[in-house]
Amino acid sequence: MQPLIRGENITKSFGVGTEKRNVLDGISVDIQQGEFVAVMGPSGSGKSTLLYALSGMDSVDSGRVIFDGANVSALKENELADLRRTNMGFVFQQPTLLRNLNILDNILLPSMRDGRKHGARLTEKATMLMEKTGIAGLEKRDITQASGGQLQRVGICRALMGDPKIIFGDEPTGALNSTSANEIMRLLAEIHRTGVTILLVTHDVGVATKTERVLFILDGRIAGEYLPGVYDETRDDGKAREEALTAWLAEMNHV
Amino acid sequence: MYLRILRNDIRRSKAITLTTMLFVAAATMLVALAAVLVVNLSGAIDTLMTQSKTPHFTQMHAGELDTARLAAFAQQNQAVADFQTLEFLNVDGAQFVFESGSLATSVQDNGLAMQSETFDFLLNLDGEVITVADGEIYVPITYIQGGIARVGETVTVAGKRFTIAGALRDSQMQPLLSSSKRFLVSHNDFTALKQFGSVEYLIEFRLHNMDRLGAFEAAYTAAGLEANGPTLTYALFRLFNGLADGLMIAVILLVSVLVIAIAFLCIRFSLLAKIEDDYREIGVMKAIGLRVADIKRIYLTQYVAIAAVGSLLGYGLSLLFRDALLANIRLYMGESANATFAPLLGIFSVTLVFVAISAYVNGVLGRFRHISPAEAVRFGVSQEKAGGGRHFRLSANRWLGTNMFLGIKDVLARKSLYVTMLTVLVLAAFIIIVPQNLHNTIASDTFITYMGVGNSDLRIDIQQTDHIAEKAAEIAAVMANDQAIARFVVLTTQTFRVQLNDSSDERLKVELGDHSVFPLTYAEGRAPAAANEIALSVLNASEMGKTVGDVITLVIDGRTSTLTVCGTYSDLTNGGKTAKAVFSDPSADTMWSVITAELADPTLLDEKIAAYADRFAFAKVSDIDEYIRQTYGGTINAMGAASYAAIGVALALTVLITLLFIRMLVAKDRYAIAVMKAFGFTNADIRAQYVARSVFVLLLGMLLGTLLANTLGERLVGAVMASFGAASFTFIVNPAFAYLLSPLLMASAVLASTFFGTLDAGHIKISENIKD
Ligand SMILES: Nc1ncnc2c1ncn2[C@@H]1O[C@H](COP(=O)(O)OP(=O)(O)OP(=O)(O)O)[C@@H](O)[C@H]1O
Ligand SMILES: [Mg+2]
Repeated sequence: MQPLIRGENITKSFGVGTEKRNVLDGISVDIQQGEFVAVMGPSGSGKSTLLYALSGMDSVDSGRVIFDGANVSALKENELADLRRTNMGFVFQQPTLLRNLNILDNILLPSMRDGRKHGARLTEKATMLMEKTGIAGLEKRDITQASGGQLQRVGICRALMGDPKIIFGDEPTGALNSTSANEIMRLLAEIHRTGVTILLVTHDVGVATKTERVLFILDGRIAGEYLPGVYDETRDDGKAREEALTAWLAEMNHV
Repeated sequence: MYLRILRNDIRRSKAITLTTMLFVAAATMLVALAAVLVVNLSGAIDTLMTQSKTPHFTQMHAGELDTARLAAFAQQNQAVADFQTLEFLNVDGAQFVFESGSLATSVQDNGLAMQSETFDFLLNLDGEVITVADGEIYVPITYIQGGIARVGETVTVAGKRFTIAGALRDSQMQPLLSSSKRFLVSHNDFTALKQFGSVEYLIEFRLHNMDRLGAFEAAYTAAGLEANGPTLTYALFRLFNGLADGLMIAVILLVSVLVIAIAFLCIRFSLLAKIEDDYREIGVMKAIGLRVADIKRIYLTQYVAIAAVGSLLGYGLSLLFRDALLANIRLYMGESANATFAPLLGIFSVTLVFVAISAYVNGVLGRFRHISPAEAVRFGVSQEKAGGGRHFRLSANRWLGTNMFLGIKDVLARKSLYVTMLTVLVLAAFIIIVPQNLHNTIASDTFITYMGVGNSDLRIDIQQTDHIAEKAAEIAAVMANDQAIARFVVLTTQTFRVQLNDSSDERLKVELGDHSVFPLTYAEGRAPAAANEIALSVLNASEMGKTVGDVITLVIDGRTSTLTVCGTYSDLTNGGKTAKAVFSDPSADTMWSVITAELADPTLLDEKIAAYADRFAFAKVSDIDEYIRQTYGGTINAMGAASYAAIGVALALTVLITLLFIRMLVAKDRYAIAVMKAFGFTNADIRAQYVARSVFVLLLGMLLGTLLANTLGERLVGAVMASFGAASFTFIVNPAFAYLLSPLLMASAVLASTFFGTLDAGHIKISENIKD
């Protein structure tokens, strides 16, 4: 079976002349349909850059990104925009919401671009998603009138509106306290169970143990891969999983 | 530290800083120029009129002159300081033959004069009283400047050769609005040429005290002295002398008001944008305990610097252009006595602009007081701002495209920012439409009817001869049988005694005949139709204190008759004091007759004019269009040029401000644009949103601008026109231009600049703008 996303030998550099440095240094990676993957690594190692490259939000210097069989690197601006709107969802560390719009409108924004005629149906769907994520009743609030955890859920609702094949998250729990972070992770796990692929960048060991595969990035390369095994909330092995992963990370950092 | 912040800020927003500075410079330049011009013009007029010893009261008179009676009157009247009668030898224009051609087509009454001995001097360009030798002639400055005559050349007047010795300044007759022009020759030459023209007299008085002019005028009329011709006063000479340059000053002032408004708008816009950008920083500064005044100073310094540099630049530019604009005043009127005072006033007005701008910036910065540090640090955005257009919801939107919706929503949410662009567009629409409407109005055929002239093709004047009535009848008889004449009317001006309430007597010149043939535009009421009706010129009506519906008592055919005032109209002819009625009185003195006619085939006009001029040598036949062209043609052309310039300026302004504005918005909105792109909005979508914003503001701006132009603009122009004697003024609008072409021009300017302004949006990288 072909992977949902395949990165082939991706390189990307910033700066010019002597300042120039390869942030992605020939990364190849496959993300299978339905996988739940975490990307870890020290700060500045290139995690976000990889995420932006795989989602087509940023171009690559060389190598290819294939999404669902299509060469993303060859797509034009507009085709990339369409691809993101119809197949991908994003959740960022900070709630990236528009301040002009209220919470409901922010959730509706991407789907309304083509679906204006189905406004009532979309609104219904958004309300249902808000209920599911525990933020029902905030529809008409301004984005300045909600907490960080609530706004992050608004972001998740927005990402889910287009029924994406994959959700990218760049430290979606990074700005939250552990209670809120756990709730967001539970939500993402739930979404994952419905068949959506999820690719997360995270620093949080607790978050990473709840995924199925951990990639470790160092200096623009994949330095290692760790399989924590399928996570099951009902089994009380959280502590053991975290310890095992922490040990592996310590080992990776010393290489 | 302030200096460093200042430098960084200016570097960050080069375009807007530069634009603001340029507008400040333009504004100060115009204000300084206007100030200098006003001082110089009024000073120069005073100088000219003092040096010339302009009469305070002049009665033009054609016909017999009883000098002894006039002298006795002057002797007895306590107010009179000086009295003289001058001769003006009216010579047909065709008799003046310059090397470049004759004055045959001139509508002016050109004639010869001798230098006066006591007052009303004709001056040379140094302001000295000219002494003219035999064989020399001095030519009115208009003709020298117009290139018709050149100093040193020769001119033949009625067959006699003269050398043009120089140009002359004539405080009484040199303005174009005055219909006669005096050429100065020696006593001997004047006498020699007397047989080739008709003599008209200027009965002139200077008074001890100008305040007594009103009473003196009344006394002169009451005495029943010579009055066959217009009556002119010192105030009128002043007005005529100042009119052309006064109009220029008015235009400069108007433009400078606009430019100042735009400078203020630029400042407001960039300041608000900056406050929005720096919201968090300002909050932090407040949070760590800086005072509002301290924070204000950082921003104030920057704008004070911009205003200072702009003002200095503007003042410098004004020095550069000053002499070019003053050239005309200097040529026609000479140096101003208070010229040294002018630069001071210029500096003063520049300082005023500078202070006003600084005060304005300080006022806008007052907003800092309302920034809550907690809110600013936590959200980085003011909460009140996020609330605008709250009830305009995407979820409730069914009929607007999403991009269109987002564009309009943004305008509603950030009203205070968009108000700037809106105001510029309103101003631009105003600047485009008002001058165009004004030009269209004064260029239209009906405009002369505001000025006291009926709309016809041809006009025949019979004055200064005997048997005027018979001669008029003779011409009328010919016209009645002339197939080429479609319509004509004979209007005869006679004088009547008016009995006023205070039982004093006055004389009133009334034009009798059928006034419905070539009607005027009435300020109030209508033309006289019945024998007991009379229409008064606005000037006469206000002087006599009469309005429509009042009655006045005239002595007609020896009996007193009561006439009802049926209408008032503006008049610039015959000193502006005229009346019109339809009764007849064969016994009253006839002063002159005018026959106006319309041709069946206007292309035959030149032919007909020649034919009538040839056949009736005693009459002056003229072409009405030619008359308008020569009298107002310059003004109409200048207005036309000005209105096209205004379109250019307004469009340039629109493009400049829209471009700046949109680019600034794109820069400010980087984050929002990146978010939308991340969620699948294309560059075309983003652009469409900006176009929606522009179009929304554009439509509003054009609507308001057009409305304002047709209400406020019309009133403004009307007020100016009224001060020149045209009382009722309404725009004659060319709808194709005002409602089709000008919106189209503006729309293309706005759309084009929005297109170019949003080019940057395509380069905004998602990864760089929402990176965590
Ligand atoms: N636009 C850019 N211009 C120059 N350098 C950049 C740019 N974006 C990223 N970099 C550099 O590339 C490297 C990788 O950045 P990236 O954001 O991918 O790191 P990261 O692994 O996500 O780090 P963190 O965990 O702190 O988010 C960093 O050293 C960063 O300084
Ligand atoms: Mg990162």
